[in-house]
Amino acid sequence: MRLEWEASYLDGRTAARRPASVRITRSGLEILVPATGARMFWPFRELRQTQGAYAGEQIRLEHGGELAEALLITDVRFLAAARAVAPDAAQLHAPARRRVRVSLTMGALMAAVALAVGIYYVVIPAFARVAAARVPVAWEAQLGAAIVDQFAPRADRCEDATRQARIDAIVAQLTGSIRPQPYTFHVTVVNSPIVNAVAAPGGHIIVFRGLLDRTDSAEELAGVLAHEIAHVLHRDVTRAIVQKASTGVLLTALAGDVSGVVAYGVEGARTLGDLQMSRTAESEADREGMGLLQAAGIDSAGMITFFDKIAHGDSGDATVARYLRTHPTTADRVAALRALAAAGPHAERRLVPDAPWTSVRTVCGDLPAPTPPQ
Amino acid sequence: MADSCPRCGFAGVSSAKCPQCGVIVATYQSSLDKMRRGPQPRPAASPFARAAAPTATPVATTPGPTAAAPRAAAAAPTSGSRHAFFRGGGGTLFGIHIVNALLILATLGVYYFWAKVRVRSYLWSQTEFEGDRFAYHGTGAELLAGFVKAVAFFFLPATILNTLPRIVHAGPAVSVVARLLVSVLALVFIPLAIVGARRYRLSRTSWRGIRFSLRASTRDFMALWIRGWILTSVTLGLYYPVFVTNQHRFLTSQMWFGSERFGFDGRGRDLLWAWVATIVLFVPTFGLAWFWFAAKRQRYYAAHTRVAGARLRSTVTAGQLAWLTITTWIGLLATLGLAWPWLTVRKVRRTFAWLSVDGPLAVDAITQQAQRVSTTGEGLAGFFDADLGFT
Repeated sequence: MRLEWEASYLDGRTAARRPASVRITRSGLEILVPATGARMFWPFRELRQTQGAYAGEQIRLEHGGELAEALLITDVRFLAAARAVAPDAAQLHAPARRRVRVSLTMGALMAAVALAVGIYYVVIPAFARVAAARVPVAWEAQLGAAIVDQFAPRADRCEDATRQARIDAIVAQLTGSIRPQPYTFHVTVVNSPIVNAVAAPGGHIIVFRGLLDRTDSAEELAGVLAHEIAHVLHRDVTRAIVQKASTGVLLTALAGDVSGVVAYGVEGARTLGDLQMSRTAESEADREGMGLLQAAGIDSAGMITFFDKIAHGDSGDATVARYLRTHPTTADRVAALRALAAAGPHAERRLVPDAPWTSVRTVCGDLPAPTPPQ
Repeated sequence: MADSCPRCGFAGVSSAKCPQCGVIVATYQSSLDKMRRGPQPRPAASPFARAAAPTATPVATTPGPTAAAPRAAAAAPTSGSRHAFFRGGGGTLFGIHIVNALLILATLGVYYFWAKVRVRSYLWSQTEFEGDRFAYHGTGAELLAGFVKAVAFFFLPATILNTLPRIVHAGPAVSVVARLLVSVLALVFIPLAIVGARRYRLSRTSWRGIRFSLRASTRDFMALWIRGWILTSVTLGLYYPVFVTNQHRFLTSQMWFGSERFGFDGRGRDLLWAWVATIVLFVPTFGLAWFWFAAKRQRYYAAHTRVAGARLRSTVTAGQLAWLTITTWIGLLATLGLAWPWLTVRKVRRTFAWLSVDGPLAVDAITQQAQRVSTTGEGLAGFFDADLGFT
C-alpha cells in the first residue's frame, strides 16, 4: 500500500499554494512543506473532507476552525490507501461507493416521483378538505368579495334593482327550505357574453349575462343557482383554492432553485386547469342542487332543460365552449338529473308567475352588449 | 509597531486600535486565530503518532510575508490571459437535484436550505481558477436563520399591513396608507437584500483558502439605491445606466479577496448613449436591442475591473448573449425545469469562456482577512428573487 503522496498545502493565512508531501499513518497524516520546512501532524479525527466526493474533483482535507488549513490531493487513490491503513479514516469518501450512489440516485428519482404523485393525489386533497372545513365563514366571505371584485369590476355589473329583486327572491326560496346555514347569498350579474356562472367562497355567486340570456324560464335559472349554492354550502371553491396553493408549494419543492420564467409558466397552466372542479364535486353539486329545488317546491324540469340545451346546443360557439370546459355537461349528467327528478316529488307552481321571464332576465337590458372575448 | 490592520488592511497601525476601522487589533487577531483553530483538539489517541511528528506547530506562527517569500520568488507573477473553468457535469448536478427534491418533499420543505448548500457547494468546488478550486462554506442552518429573520422583519409586517385593513373593515384612507407602507418597506428591504446577500455569499466563498468579503456600509447602499430609483423614475428611465453602474461600482470596489481590494473605474455616463440607442431600437428589434446593451455593459464592466495587478476582460457579443439566454429559457420551459442542471452548467461554462483575467496576477502575498456577517440579506434575497445569477 502506497503511503507517500504528493499534495498542495494552503495555510489559511495567505493565498500561496505550496507543494507538500503527505505520509499516511494509522492515526493521521504527517505533512511536510519543503518551501517553509514545516512539519505537521493532522489526526484523522480532526480532519474534514469538504471536496473530492465527485469524479474529477480534487480531494480537499481541512484542519482547524472556520478559516481552516487545507490539503489538496489530486490522486483519487489516496482515499482508498488512507481507508485501508487507518481505522479512523472511515469518514473519508470511498470512491468505490460512487457506483452505489448512482443507483441510490435512481432510487431517489423514483421515490421523489412516487412521493410527488402521492402528495398530489392524496395528501393535498385530504389537507384541502380538512383545511377548507375549518376556514371561518367570515374569512370565506372576505375572500369571496375580493374574488367578485376581481371577476366583476363595479363598472361591469348590471344593477337593476327591480329585476335583481326577482333573482334574490329565487335564491331566498331555494335557501329557505334548508336547515340553518351560515351563508348570506349575493348574486352578481356581470355584463359579459360568457355563458357561465361561478360560485365564489362565502355565498357569492356570479352569473354572466351570456348565461342569463339563454335561460327561457325562472326555473332554468333556479336550476343553475341551485347548483352553485350547493358548491358554496360544500365549500368546494375554498377547497379548490387551498388545493391550488398547496400544489404551488409542491411544484416549488420539485423545481428547486428554478425560479422566474418556469415558475410563471407553470403557474399559468395551473390557473387554467384549476377552474375545473373535480367531477365528483360537480355531480355532488348537481344532486344537492336538485334536492334544493325539490325541497323548495320548484319544478326541476327547468334545470334539466337548461343543461340539456347547453349540452346539445351550439357547442361551436366560443362562449358556450367555455361553460362546457368548466362544467362538463355530458349526456350522463343530464340522465343522472332526470333520474333524480323522477324519484322526487313533482312541482307545478310557477316561480315567477306575474311577469314574462324575458322581461325579468334582462337585468343588463339597457347596457350595450360587450364584444365576446377571444 | 507600525503594522497592517488584520481587518481592513490599513497599513499604518501604530497603536492598539486601527485608526481606519476602529477595531482593537489584538482582540480581532485573537478572534481570527480562534476561527482558524476551531474547537480545541482532544488528546491524541496514539502518543506514538504524536511523537513521530515532533514539530507539530503550524508554520503560520511566522508572519505571512516572510513565509511567502521563497515561493513568491520562485514563481514570479506571469502575464497572460487566465480563464476560470467549470469542471462539473449536468448529470451529477441532476443527481444532486433529484436527491434534494426527494428530501425537500419528505421533510415538507425544511430541507430546502440544505439542498441549496449542496448545489452551491458543487458549483463552487467544480469551478477552477489557476489550478485551484473555489469552495463554498455556507451551511443550511445559516440559510434557515436568514430565512427566519427575513420572514420576521419583512414578510410578516408586509402581510399584516396588506390584510389587516380588510379584516378590520378599515376605511379607504387606512388601506392607502397601509399599501404605501408596504411599498416603503420593499424600497428599504430590496437594497438590503442585494447588499446583504452579496456580503454573505462572498464571505462564504474562498479560493486557495482565502475568503472573499464585501466591506460596504448597508446604509450607504440603501441611500444610493433609493436615490437612483427615484432619479430613474423621474427621468423616465434615462438615468438607468448611471444607476446600475453606481450599484456595480459600489459592490465591486468594496469587494475584497483576503487583503486584496478589487477596483472599478467605470462611469455610468459612458453607457448613456448606448442606453438611449437601446430605448429607441427596443420596439423595432422586438426587444433584442436589450442584449446588445447587456453585452456592451458586461464588456465595459469587465474592462474597468482590476484585481491584484490584473484586469478583467470580456469578449461577449450581443449574439452570444441573446442565444444563450433565449435557448436557456426555451429549454427550461419545454422541459418544465427538468433540464435546469444541464442548462446551468452550460451557462456557467459559456460565461467563463467569455471572461478572462489579463495581466500579471500577483496573489501569493495576499493574506486572510475574513469578516463576520449576518444572514438576513441572504434570506431576504429569496423573497425578492434578487439572486445573483449563480443560484
